[in-house]
Amino acid sequence: MNDGHSLAPESRPAMTAARPLRADGESREAVPDIRPTVTTRFAVNGRFHAVEHDVRVTLLDLLRERLGLTGTKKGCDHGQCGACTVHVNGEAVLSCLTLAASLEDVVVTTIEGVGSPEKLHPMQQAFIDHDALQCGYCTPGQIMAAIACVRDGGARDASSVREWMSGTLCRCAAYPQIASAVLDAAGKMVD
Amino acid sequence: MTEPSSARIGEPLPRVDALAKVTGMALFPSDVPAPETAYAVLLTSTIALGRIVRIDSSAAETVPGFLLLLSHENVAGCIKTPHAFAGLSTTTVESVQVMHDGQIVGLIVAQSYEGACEAAACVRIDYEPSSAAAGFDSPGVQRRRVKEANARHQDPRIGDADAAYVSAPVRIAADYATPTQHHNSIELLTTTCWWEGDRLTVHEPSQFVLDRRYLADCFGIPVEHIRVVSRFCGGGFGGKTSGTPRTALCALAARRLNRPVKLVARREQAFTINTYRAETRHHVRLAAHHDGRLLALIHEGMEITSRPSTYSVAGTEVTARMYACANIRTEVSIVHADRNTPGFMRCPAELPYMFALESAMDELAHALHMDPIELRRRNDTDRDPIDGRAYSSRSLMRCFDEGARQFGWSDRPAQPGTHRMGEWRVGYGCAAASYPAVLGASAARVSLDGEARARVQLAFHEIGNGAYTVIAQAAAAALGLPLASVEVELGDTRLPPSNIAAASNGTATTCNAVTRACAMIRDRLLEAARQDPLFGTDPSLQAAQLMDGCLVAGGARLPIASLVERIGGLVDAEGAYIVPDAPPGAIERLRQGIPAFGGGVHGRTHVALSLGAHFVQVHVHVLTGEIRVPRVLGVFAAGTIMNRRTAASQLTGGMIWGMGSALHEATIVDPGSARYINRSFADYLIPVNADVPSVTAILLEERDEVINPMGIKGVGELGPSGMNAAIANAIFNATGRRLRSLPILPRHLI
Repeated sequence: MNDGHSLAPESRPAMTAARPLRADGESREAVPDIRPTVTTRFAVNGRFHAVEHDVRVTLLDLLRERLGLTGTKKGCDHGQCGACTVHVNGEAVLSCLTLAASLEDVVVTTIEGVGSPEKLHPMQQAFIDHDALQCGYCTPGQIMAAIACVRDGGARDASSVREWMSGTLCRCAAYPQIASAVLDAAGKMVD
Repeated sequence: MTEPSSARIGEPLPRVDALAKVTGMALFPSDVPAPETAYAVLLTSTIALGRIVRIDSSAAETVPGFLLLLSHENVAGCIKTPHAFAGLSTTTVESVQVMHDGQIVGLIVAQSYEGACEAAACVRIDYEPSSAAAGFDSPGVQRRRVKEANARHQDPRIGDADAAYVSAPVRIAADYATPTQHHNSIELLTTTCWWEGDRLTVHEPSQFVLDRRYLADCFGIPVEHIRVVSRFCGGGFGGKTSGTPRTALCALAARRLNRPVKLVARREQAFTINTYRAETRHHVRLAAHHDGRLLALIHEGMEITSRPSTYSVAGTEVTARMYACANIRTEVSIVHADRNTPGFMRCPAELPYMFALESAMDELAHALHMDPIELRRRNDTDRDPIDGRAYSSRSLMRCFDEGARQFGWSDRPAQPGTHRMGEWRVGYGCAAASYPAVLGASAARVSLDGEARARVQLAFHEIGNGAYTVIAQAAAAALGLPLASVEVELGDTRLPPSNIAAASNGTATTCNAVTRACAMIRDRLLEAARQDPLFGTDPSLQAAQLMDGCLVAGGARLPIASLVERIGGLVDAEGAYIVPDAPPGAIERLRQGIPAFGGGVHGRTHVALSLGAHFVQVHVHVLTGEIRVPRVLGVFAAGTIMNRRTAASQLTGGMIWGMGSALHEATIVDPGSARYINRSFADYLIPVNADVPSVTAILLEERDEVINPMGIKGVGELGPSGMNAAIANAIFNATGRRLRSLPILPRHLI
């Protein structure tokens, strides 16, 4: 699929040659970037990646800063807002609380992988049809949570949808429209 | 071949940017890639008042990947004190002085985000703290009247309210309070910037990209050397309206390192490095005849601000203009404390001030044994009670009456605390919504090509307001094209100047500008049609219209595409809308970073308010005090609605914002340390989906002939206004308990 980003996956821009500056403005020898790294092999949206990375990197930062998959959003970095929700082996996870190093051999799906502009996922179409978004920032997380909600049996009725979707915050408060969209898409999802 | 039918004003069309937003393709500013980016992390103070004694960065500097620490030791003098947009702020790292909790005291930059976080954690800062004043009741605060602090402010008043109050047959007096609140847009405060020579590019979520003037002032460079881009903004709510110290620091770091720098400020830092809604207190007195007609209205408000700022919201400008009353006195004071500077937050003035007025109206109705809607009817007016100007349009009672019918208001128990369903007490409440129909200034460039595809460009902002959609719709309707034939470009200082996306002015201001540019294009097409050998002399051309892809006159239909081809394959025009009472040179002033505001309550000939009525059903558990809001309905009238679908969504979102302000949201300020305690989504509660089972917004038809050529009044900030009062009034109806301090929590009801 077209990921629409100019940073090629798996290639990090070369470190700059610029020297660090001390507080007094004098330049000094760079401290080498020698933190332990690890190589994680996993698939994202059907594409295999082997990424060498700092052991502390979260899945969220790896997706955004290394793989150029910026559809997944950072809203709190503390697992409190749901904007970074992705699927790992089909399960909804908060990518800000998931260390990339823990993902050896898994399959990750992000908003860029659930559908394409030409062939939207029923949930994406339902979000458009029900105006279930305003600024659009939480929308990728809402859609990833919503797909998992339907798959996991949470879309029994409106009340159940609202309860399931309450972990994903929307400050524009498109909540009524989101609940309608999830119920609508639930009847159209095949898997 | 039949041409596709053209878009119409008001049509509930899907958002034109929805596809980008549901696929993750919409590039928010922190999504924009920049090669060789260095990562920044802010250091913020852990005291609210005092001075920095020492910054020990020796450990941080040994962290692998460390690049730079900016602090007062190497920043002072490099960033000039910038102009302040709303009020003087305090945080450009110019000295050792700390003036509020969480003040920016440094910026760490490293090769990676993880490295920057580690280095930031290694910095040790020693402070010499002083005793800080946290809020209204703290020793050391300084109180003064807003009219003394700000020469432009006048407290609306008429008659002799104090005398009328004392001698009136029915009176109520009450104190109300609203808490500190923070915008908490889900998108964090981010900055990505780089220099090319002496030119600076900044990608930053913004409601006003032209406030690049802030950076121009900081670095002493012309505004034209700065480009600010914000194609999408992940929620603004007033929190992204102006340049901020974090941007200046990132730009300084980018200059020193000669590479792009990216900052994603942490959630907890957003509480202190940005503005917020200050807490307010109100004393309201209302007096009336036995038949409900108001005799006196006295509204005294008090707001917190920082030490250097005189920022206030002074919502008495609106509360003094809601109801007929011959004797009105208002007074607003600010209280300077050791806090960060407050600023606009969605429905800045009306959310706290309408809470006080609309709660007081409910209290008066109860004292009069009168239905609260009837009380408002008896005090409805078509003239501004302060100075007699007519309302540009006013449909307040139509909103109440339609709402009462749809909501089933007649089922409301007249006696509070008498309706129960099992273990739940049930109550109904209502309140008026009101927001000034403010207008601004905007330019817009429209170009039309030989395939009848239009491009609209202006430096306005998509913040969830549906700007891309309503602007495309305005152009499509004016040019007689389908929505899909219009492409809109926003959020870039390189585009024609446009206004700040704030105060509900955006749709009215920009759509009028775009329509004007389209009218110029229509004239050019008409000229081309006059050259047509067949129709050129047809007298009906005078009344020609653009519709369904054609210029239609009498029986003739000339395809727009062929007319454009005839005049060279491209037509473009730059139009502008400028609110009549704007100072001269409004568009040039925009270019220089000065937003334009006019109309609203300050229009020369009319007072213009968007109005509505909220209806709420609450359930309060008899044992636990748990509060549920199973049903809310809002009915609104705001002149021409550009898109009934996006407007209704903005209104339901606004109503939920108001519900949060009544039942969830409060930033807790520790009285001892003057620090914010609950700086996370775990502790600062906002509504979630389960909190809002049924929220409906109804839009009434309203024609406003005077406000602007298109008759648009705006809805963005209307939804929250008065909702908090409607909820408090419903809780009174359910329980007989009058709660005058927000948020209302279960513990207040047991």
